[in-house]
Amino acid sequence: MTSAVPRRRRHGRVRWWTYLLLVLAAVVCLFPLYWMFVVATTDTATATRMPPAVVPGGNFFHLLGLVLETVPFVQALLNSLFVATAIGAGQAVLCALAGFAFAKLDFRGRNVLFLVVVLTMTVPTQLSVIPQYLIMSWLGWVDTLQALVVPGLASAFGIFWMRQHITATIDDELVQAATIDGASTGQVFWRIAFPIVRPAAFVLGLFGFVTAWNDFLWPFIVLKTPERYTAQIAIKALQNSYDVDLGLAMSGSFLATAPLVVLFVVVGRRMVAGVLEGAFKG
Amino acid sequence: MTLRPLPLLAAAALVLAAACTPGTGGGGGGDGKSFEFWSFAAINQKTSTDAYRQKHPDVEVKLTEVGTSTETAQALTTALAGGKVPDLVLIQGDNLPKFVQQPQNFVDLRTLGADDIKGDYLDWVMKQSVAKDGEVIGVPTDVGGMAIAYRTDLFAAAQLPTDPAAASALWPTWDAFIETGKRYKQATGKAFIDNAATSVFYQAVNQVSEKYYSEGRELVYDRNPQVRAAFDLGVKAATAGITAGQTSFESAWSAGLAQGAYAAVAAPSWMLNTIRSTAPDTKGKWAIAKIPGGAGNWGGSYLAIPKRAKNPQAAWNYIKEMQSPQGQLDHFGRVGALPSTPSVYQDAKLTSLKDPFFTDAPTGKIYTDSLLGLKPFYIGPDSATIGQEFLNSITNVEQSGGNPATAWDDALRNIKTAIG
Amino acid sequence: MSAVALTLVPTPRAAPPPPVRRRARGLGERVTPYAYIAPFFVLFAVFGLFPFAFTFYVALFDWNPIGDQVFIGVDNFVRMFGDPRFWNAARNTVSIWFLSTVPQLLIALLLAHVLNHARLRFALFFRMSVLVPYVTSVAATAIVFAQLFDRDYGLLNWLLGLVGVSPVDFVQSTAGSHVLIATMVTWRWFGYTTLLYLASLQSVPRAVFEAAAIDGAGPWQRFRHITVPSLRPVIIFTVVTSTIGGLQIFTEPLLIATGAPLTCGAVRQCQTLTLFLYEQGFGEFEFGYGSAVGVALFVMVVVIAAVNYLLAGRIRADR
Repeated sequence: MTSAVPRRRRHGRVRWWTYLLLVLAAVVCLFPLYWMFVVATTDTATATRMPPAVVPGGNFFHLLGLVLETVPFVQALLNSLFVATAIGAGQAVLCALAGFAFAKLDFRGRNVLFLVVVLTMTVPTQLSVIPQYLIMSWLGWVDTLQALVVPGLASAFGIFWMRQHITATIDDELVQAATIDGASTGQVFWRIAFPIVRPAAFVLGLFGFVTAWNDFLWPFIVLKTPERYTAQIAIKALQNSYDVDLGLAMSGSFLATAPLVVLFVVVGRRMVAGVLEGAFKG
Repeated sequence: MTLRPLPLLAAAALVLAAACTPGTGGGGGGDGKSFEFWSFAAINQKTSTDAYRQKHPDVEVKLTEVGTSTETAQALTTALAGGKVPDLVLIQGDNLPKFVQQPQNFVDLRTLGADDIKGDYLDWVMKQSVAKDGEVIGVPTDVGGMAIAYRTDLFAAAQLPTDPAAASALWPTWDAFIETGKRYKQATGKAFIDNAATSVFYQAVNQVSEKYYSEGRELVYDRNPQVRAAFDLGVKAATAGITAGQTSFESAWSAGLAQGAYAAVAAPSWMLNTIRSTAPDTKGKWAIAKIPGGAGNWGGSYLAIPKRAKNPQAAWNYIKEMQSPQGQLDHFGRVGALPSTPSVYQDAKLTSLKDPFFTDAPTGKIYTDSLLGLKPFYIGPDSATIGQEFLNSITNVEQSGGNPATAWDDALRNIKTAIG
Repeated sequence: MSAVALTLVPTPRAAPPPPVRRRARGLGERVTPYAYIAPFFVLFAVFGLFPFAFTFYVALFDWNPIGDQVFIGVDNFVRMFGDPRFWNAARNTVSIWFLSTVPQLLIALLLAHVLNHARLRFALFFRMSVLVPYVTSVAATAIVFAQLFDRDYGLLNWLLGLVGVSPVDFVQSTAGSHVLIATMVTWRWFGYTTLLYLASLQSVPRAVFEAAAIDGAGPWQRFRHITVPSLRPVIIFTVVTSTIGGLQIFTEPLLIATGAPLTCGAVRQCQTLTLFLYEQGFGEFEFGYGSAVGVALFVMVVVIAAVNYLLAGRIRADR
């Protein structure tokens, strides 16, 4: 190969084709959203014109009005917000609690129970929608939001993640010192452990939020009346007439995506950091 | 940025409170005057409920347009299986048989007075909603009728006659229709119709005197020569290169309608509204001609009341009034939905209606005439599934490169798999 | 599962003294740990395990949700194994899974390797933009991509037309529809996977790469002999999780064939097993048959995930 000295410096410099590749990836990722916006601000005729349109128009508010007429979209956004927030917050707290228990508390069967938690990740719950639906009908929860929230609170991955985090960031000495000082387990958790792992819990909650926001199959089966729809089902409902209006469908799609993108711009750095921190140190 | 869980949970609770306000269940809950109504989209039930509310201001009607007719049927099924049922539900004709097979899920409308009004409706339409032991499950709303809607400007460009009588004379039979299509294709190079499965096979097969079941309710789809003939027509149209290969109601089909990708489409009366809303710029460029074979029907829905409904009487009042012959006639005047009550077919309101979007075609007369030649056939619980498999087979030939020689056998095989 | 292996590797810290025995502190304290983990187990038992087990039970019935439930033993399974629609859905499922997982992981590996540069400018922008698909609504994605890939009016076919390629039907053809769905799934997940790999890569000391470069290893060899082996645990993880997820794809097939949504096309060209399950259960009112399909899918997921776990495990570990 070539000589050693120049290579040491060249290894630090980024080649132009690296940037090209990354720009290509960014374009691929962002173009569909841009195009969604283009159609949401024009109409079906423009979208299906050949060559297709790629420039936004001014039709947004008219389409927005149509969307709101067709389905109670604002209500759907609120429903999604409620469900996703409840699941995100719920997961953050419950998984932190359980993760703390597995990481720092000593109790009989701890290791076995943790193994069970991990094994539950192999059960593909998406397949059991039929019995899940029957259970909801027995509970009287069909067409309710709690049917979406309550099952979503159990996250084995979340427990795994929090346990990993707590093990890595909280010293046993810290816990012992507090205990010796007379603190109960609850106090140790809320006053000492949770504040330390709050950032990680927050990231977990964020991912739970996003997953819940984008969930489709289960809300599709369980929700019946438009007032209960989440944003995803509302988008599907826009596709439902005998005359598919692309402008309408894209407008709704844009409305359902925009909040998440906004959220992402605000806390995206955290999410990226969260993924990068991962559970896979080394 | 630190985030305390407590404020977060409090925020969630607030959102919960905000989100929980509407949708608190059925309209009025049991006061007997209000009711909850599930319909599918694009069928103009809102116009009907608005008219009813005008006459009865003390009644609250909570109308939900659930989705397509199939999705409404699915939602109804899951609701009947467990959960809240509406007081009134609109069921499309294709979805009705499965429900009629399980009549215990619905109120027998005879107990509310159906016997008195049964005679008002076309008897082959009424028959569909009567269960094995005579329970009346549904009351018919509209029927579709059948005609061909075509673009006069595109016909003119292909040197085809544009006058409706002349156009109808071009295609007294389906074979002649396909020949006209070839002529059009040769003259303009463009597609004549949207697809073969829906616009040819589906309409032809609805003109038979016996369809997938015999009068004795036995399955005969595989050996009924009328069905076979209709199927062969569909394959012939698919292989003649005269279709645009666009499946009905998909987004490409809507775009094609607006852009003149095809010149003609089999149109029941309710599709006229679809054309109007999908292709508003083509106003005045359409006309309506007779369907090959003369008679036909596509569509038709029924109103039913689920057994666990909280307000059955209120729902029944609505049915009795809005689906009476006068009620259906008024609805026709408002949205063009064809009544299923033959007593009004000669009414001036119906026969004199001319639609400017379709070059002043007398739509009322054309569609009621198309119903006259219909020979009623029995529709069984699996008719929709069987029909769908036939449609799929023809679409396969038309769009996915399926082999036309084996299309019939493929369809039969798929049907056997589907219905056992 | 790989997660188990990762759990039991302790994070290196000073060896802690044994945990303080709290049993002397009374019943409340003894119960507390169980109280903390109880919510998960209760929720999972009710909404995860029980429905899962119940699926096997329902599969033994002819269960009409608005009619009767009749016990028929294994008849549903017999029917299923003879049902060409089932095998068609199974083939589609595996094909779509393969097309959406393999390119995704390879692209992610490559991108992670490339993004792993100390002096990359705009790093945060690139990292955030590849994560945008992950937060995009699934339903919205399906509608947008279906339109972009439309045979008559789609942007992609228009571009292909510019270079003389005749229009491809990405919905009505089997291969086309699989490519469309795989594209959507890959688009959604490759950024997330990239970041996951990047995270692990960043714990590999730069010195290792530099030493290899000095020793004469080119970029491809650095990739093969350093990047891939050091990513072994996370590759195993992503292989297993994308297998479990990829075999259960439902939303995209449902939304792209609007003319025949439940069967995903006139010849079920893109119907996956989950969609077939839904069609039979909620479309044909056959809960029992749908549940049998669910059982079959579960078995398939377990088998294929196990196979993939073993295959991925054969990546050579760190030197």
